[in-house]
Amino acid sequence: MFAWLKGPGENFRRPLPDSTNYLSSYNSQGRLWRSLESSPTLALDEEASDPPAESNPESKENPLQSQVVSEDKLPPEDKQDLKPFPVNSDFTSQPVLSEELREEIYDRVVNNGKSVKIASAELSVDMSRVAAVVRLKTIEKDWVKKNKPLAKAYSKAILEMLPTTPLTKFPMRPKMHESINDLPVHPATTQQIFEPTSESRSFTRIDASKVFDPELLPADERISHPELIELERERRLGISQEERIMRQRERAKKELERRESKERRRDEIEEATLKRVLPAERGGNGGRWEWRFREISVQDAGKDGRAPGGVGWRYGIPHEDRKKGHVKIPTRV
Amino acid sequence: MRRKFHGLKRPKIRQSWNKYNLYNLSRLRRQDIKTRTFFQQKWTAKASTRAYHGEQIREKQWQHMFRPRLASVVPMDHRYLAQFDGSEQALGRGSGLDVDPSANSQREGNSAKKNPKIPYMNMVYAPMERRLDTAVFRALFASSARQARQFVVHGFVRVNGKKMIYPGYMLNPGDMFQVEPERVLFATGAPKTKRQRRSGRRKAKEAPPSSEAASNKGATDEDVGLDLSTLSLTESAAAAAPPPSDDPVAALLTRARATISGIDESSLTAKQKQAFRSLKKSAKSLHSQRNSAPAFAVPTLEAELSNFTFLLSPPNSPSNPASADGQSAKEATPEKVMQQAYENPIDSSKPYGTPWRPRDYMSPFAFIPRYLEVNQNICAAVYLRHPVARPGLSEVSISLDTYTGDAYQWLLRRYLPHSIKNRISWHSIGIFVAVVDKCKQISCNNLKKKLVHGNRGILYKY
Repeated sequence: MFAWLKGPGENFRRPLPDSTNYLSSYNSQGRLWRSLESSPTLALDEEASDPPAESNPESKENPLQSQVVSEDKLPPEDKQDLKPFPVNSDFTSQPVLSEELREEIYDRVVNNGKSVKIASAELSVDMSRVAAVVRLKTIEKDWVKKNKPLAKAYSKAILEMLPTTPLTKFPMRPKMHESINDLPVHPATTQQIFEPTSESRSFTRIDASKVFDPELLPADERISHPELIELERERRLGISQEERIMRQRERAKKELERRESKERRRDEIEEATLKRVLPAERGGNGGRWEWRFREISVQDAGKDGRAPGGVGWRYGIPHEDRKKGHVKIPTRV
Repeated sequence: MRRKFHGLKRPKIRQSWNKYNLYNLSRLRRQDIKTRTFFQQKWTAKASTRAYHGEQIREKQWQHMFRPRLASVVPMDHRYLAQFDGSEQALGRGSGLDVDPSANSQREGNSAKKNPKIPYMNMVYAPMERRLDTAVFRALFASSARQARQFVVHGFVRVNGKKMIYPGYMLNPGDMFQVEPERVLFATGAPKTKRQRRSGRRKAKEAPPSSEAASNKGATDEDVGLDLSTLSLTESAAAAAPPPSDDPVAALLTRARATISGIDESSLTAKQKQAFRSLKKSAKSLHSQRNSAPAFAVPTLEAELSNFTFLLSPPNSPSNPASADGQSAKEATPEKVMQQAYENPIDSSKPYGTPWRPRDYMSPFAFIPRYLEVNQNICAAVYLRHPVARPGLSEVSISLDTYTGDAYQWLLRRYLPHSIKNRISWHSIGIFVAVVDKCKQISCNNLKKKLVHGNRGILYKY
């Protein structure tokens, strides 16, 4: 082992500057595949001279990392270089957001007031990731404001070791970070179904989803950015850009109204089921507290009295939260 | 009793950045499928993957976590969805118009490359990735899953702002977890050298008790503010955070103390030594007569401090943190050096080597899966969603591929929870088994292809 660590393993002691440094980007002699491929004559020479050296681990010369580093520019990593486990070809180290791109996302959402959905579609970053970046950046800014020390050195070192998606400036198109329209594979669609239908019928995605499950929505509605489909369709119809923008604005407005009315309705229902009683000593208003009564059905406890919807302690049903062998780890925070 | 954790005789790949682990990983080979029975293959597959995924948790716990359903997604192209309504796939079946579905875009080249298989078998251990300790390790906040577990148990990890001491807490999508930055720097940073340890001990012994208390406070108390104005003044002056008091003299003294304590006098040049001694002298005199100090004492110390740090600043000096950062010294401007020194100070009170640099043999293990969004500056991460497989790509890092189909079969046979056994139709389980068999077949074929064509994966000899 120590022979290997002093030989090919020496490459992994320190990170490769401005590059990833995974096992699969080196050959057994500890040379970078990339640098060999970029200079084929060198590779040929080495292949001719290497086999005797390979059979004898003692005589393994030190890897040429210094030589590689001394070269001005390493060729960029290809797909094969981003596999941390040489035996598993299906796992790839995927790029993370660079510091500038995170800043840009925060800027667009917080300072420019863009919605998460729009920022996601513009930068090709998943919506949940956009939201997470904003959340984390907010905390970071708060720390800066409070003069709390940040782990800058750590951050810089890690981001140099990992593949990153850079921020591209305006005239260039933003580099795609990830697919934003992922369709989750629904369990109902994992079976093959023989569905006889007439030849003349136009059997679309909507029909197919109904065959799999009557409740299942078609792929067009299950992806995160269905509005992009509509935009593309209008573009294909040859509608002018101003018109498309206007239509999209209208749709977004309608969507917002729909969501708001839904929330309002939910609040109304909540309000209707809730009975508020204000303390009498203040004349029925202005108090800092109030009683809230909600209707509870005994039937919620279910037939066996153990249904999760049941409220309160029920006679004859023991609390098991202090019993041995029961999981007490919280399921949500 | 457990055998060696990083054994060399019967190597097991572990979730750790250990160099023994790296060596074991470098000589890892695919299982020999010709000479071994199917049961042997399954057993080895299950044992070796389990040694990597959550070896710290009991088998029974894993049995409760295991689910036969393997999550996956398919990326959709909105342009394609806008152009076609899906009927084109059924067009002309049987009348000579149908095309090979795998080659739906011939102009893009190889169809197999365009439509790779979904590596379902890599997702067997996906439920493990939900555990808090595993997520902390995956976010690169700890150097091994066991260390991550220790961090959780010792109360250094918070979930959604609340302390969470259960390493087995299953993260929900949207949960944010934070680890104390000092712990992260300790876990991922290079340890102190012998010399640094010795000089740190000496400093602790020499330092007067009051200053020790101050430096300890600066090292441990998180809420102590860093005075940003010191940045423009001096390089390593910001080594220790100034005390919360607004007293400028106290702040100056702390800065001077931090500078002095981070310096090994024997490594200085003659000129630097001169400046160093005069700095020490004026700091001492100001400290001893703080209340009755002459008016010029404070500016004198200020000048000494900036003079000394200026003498230290040439980029080739050994105590300059910039050279330890792996940055080429020639492109570093004084402002940059100063900035780096501010962010990465020399401080002997830290439990890791300062200036901070990543520990040895870290880079081959450094990757962050897509289901986490990590902010390294505050050592916090958000668990976005559960890991999924997508065509040609899995999000669960697993060191072995051909093994996992076998492991899945082994688990499917034994670990199916009763609750699920009753709910799930056996028909869909049959499909999973079929998938497993197909995967095995594919991987064997790939292996053959690789052997024939001399693929890079096989060229990698041990």
